[in-house]
Amino acid sequence: MISPDSDRNRLFRHDGRIAINTIRAAFAGWNDRLVAVAVLIITLAMIKSWLAERPWTIAAWSAVGAGLLLGTSAERLVAKRLAFHGFDGLLAVDALRPATRRRYIAAWHGIALALLATVLLVVAPSLLIVGCASYLAGTLLAALMSGVTVPKRLADRVGSARVIRAWLRHGQAGALVASTLLVVLLLERSLTPNTLIAILGIETTLLTLALTSVDSDVVRFMATTGYGPWRIVGYHGKSMAYFLALAVPGCWLIAGSVAAAVVTAVSGAVLLLLVLRVLAYCLHGKRFADLIVSIFAGLLLFLAYFLPIALPFLAVAILWQLQHRARTKTWLLA
Amino acid sequence: MSPAIHLAGAAVERSGQRVVQDVDLRVARGSWFGLIGANGSGKTSLLRALAGRLPFAAGSCLVDGQDLASDRAGRALRFGFCPPAHTLPDSVRVRDVLELVGGSYDDVRPRLGRLSLALALAPLLDRWIGDCSAGMRQRVAIACAFAGGHPRVILDEPFNWLDPVAIFDVREVLRSMVDDGLTLITALHDLGTLAAACDAGLVLANGEVALALDEHALHTAAQDPQAFERQTIDLLRS
Repeated sequence: MISPDSDRNRLFRHDGRIAINTIRAAFAGWNDRLVAVAVLIITLAMIKSWLAERPWTIAAWSAVGAGLLLGTSAERLVAKRLAFHGFDGLLAVDALRPATRRRYIAAWHGIALALLATVLLVVAPSLLIVGCASYLAGTLLAALMSGVTVPKRLADRVGSARVIRAWLRHGQAGALVASTLLVVLLLERSLTPNTLIAILGIETTLLTLALTSVDSDVVRFMATTGYGPWRIVGYHGKSMAYFLALAVPGCWLIAGSVAAAVVTAVSGAVLLLLVLRVLAYCLHGKRFADLIVSIFAGLLLFLAYFLPIALPFLAVAILWQLQHRARTKTWLLA
Repeated sequence: MSPAIHLAGAAVERSGQRVVQDVDLRVARGSWFGLIGANGSGKTSLLRALAGRLPFAAGSCLVDGQDLASDRAGRALRFGFCPPAHTLPDSVRVRDVLELVGGSYDDVRPRLGRLSLALALAPLLDRWIGDCSAGMRQRVAIACAFAGGHPRVILDEPFNWLDPVAIFDVREVLRSMVDDGLTLITALHDLGTLAAACDAGLVLANGEVALALDEHALHTAAQDPQAFERQTIDLLRS
């Protein structure tokens, strides 16, 4: 019988091989690789430029936020993988033994920390210590949070949350949410114009995000049962259509054209995010698709800030490329 | 002689619900133990707990006389386990998966023995898991359970997805491996296999033991499989 002690790193090698092969498959063509390198270089240049224009304290707080976010996300991802290995994986022994667990956790965080340090050295070496320390604090925070048990009543609500998410995809949900926004807007009319617009923007963002949840399994299922990518987008975006049809003219009537423009712009951005996610889920597994969408969304945000005129061209290029590839996945089970 | 595996009052919980309770079973060394039950009766949960993939909520679990009820890693170390075929990673090759579980393929091959032929593994070795059909994945998953060379193996519904020839060949080889000393526990949906190939078994209903089948009962069942099937179906319906 083989002993796991003979190869203490096999759990890490297992996931490392999966990660490398997945990245190779995703960037199999030279086009994909060139686009990825270009996106990486442009993103790093934009971050560097953005940080250089800010006072050190603002830049440091940004590094703290990014480090915490990355640290907590990485820790949660590693914990999730270990839970999978312990339950369904090939190497359950390694995932259940404290010594091999520690090696696995240390190896992945070591890689993540090295990548973060490299990025910080390129974009802002003065933030190296702050960023890395925040990453470690984030991992610690996530590890502590994972020890907090969820009360059963709260766990039961997760089931009802699934029902609510499914209902939010219906047209009537969009109409109801738009009506709620308009009623709230009526109550907020006494606010100063600037405050009103800011609050309206935040409200619209939160409400439209709630209306555009995407379940990767549903997307994959629809693709394998013959739904083309745009039909899947239509299924997920139905409530947004109702929302826009009611909210935009309603806001125009209540608070004027600027309010209507804000609702349109925010809804457009959220719809774009929805389309990106649907197309990416047609092509890749959830985790990798989310990574790709985050990169594209970040790139579009930076472009919107620095070079807004180029934004629609890049958005259309990304959408065209994704939908072109997603179309080939219709009916495909693999 | 003490049994290879002895569960007493075993209970398993999933998402806070007790899905297996008060299960007593004994599996003799070098025997094939079959577990039968309706969908959702607790077979998979019980097997996963035995293989360390789930904790036991209550009871004792003796493996070769050592109580491992509270030692998930200890149980996972002692059992070869067939992972659900759909959870095998798409982006690695079959050979890589077997080598990760059992070391070099030169070490894995003798552990698989005739099973390698019955599973028609050789043509699959350089294939990506993502390019395998459901039946091919199932073959690989079964091979994974044996790649580590464990003397005790747990297979959850191993004949799902396999073609009739493969079912016949694999069943024959498993039987011969058991005759050579392997202790095998399988969840099954096929009463014929339970009657013809297993040495003992258990019928689970709603997470509890509905019927324990010893060697004599299965010998009788093998002589009149239709009567056995009718009785067992009546029991599962009730």
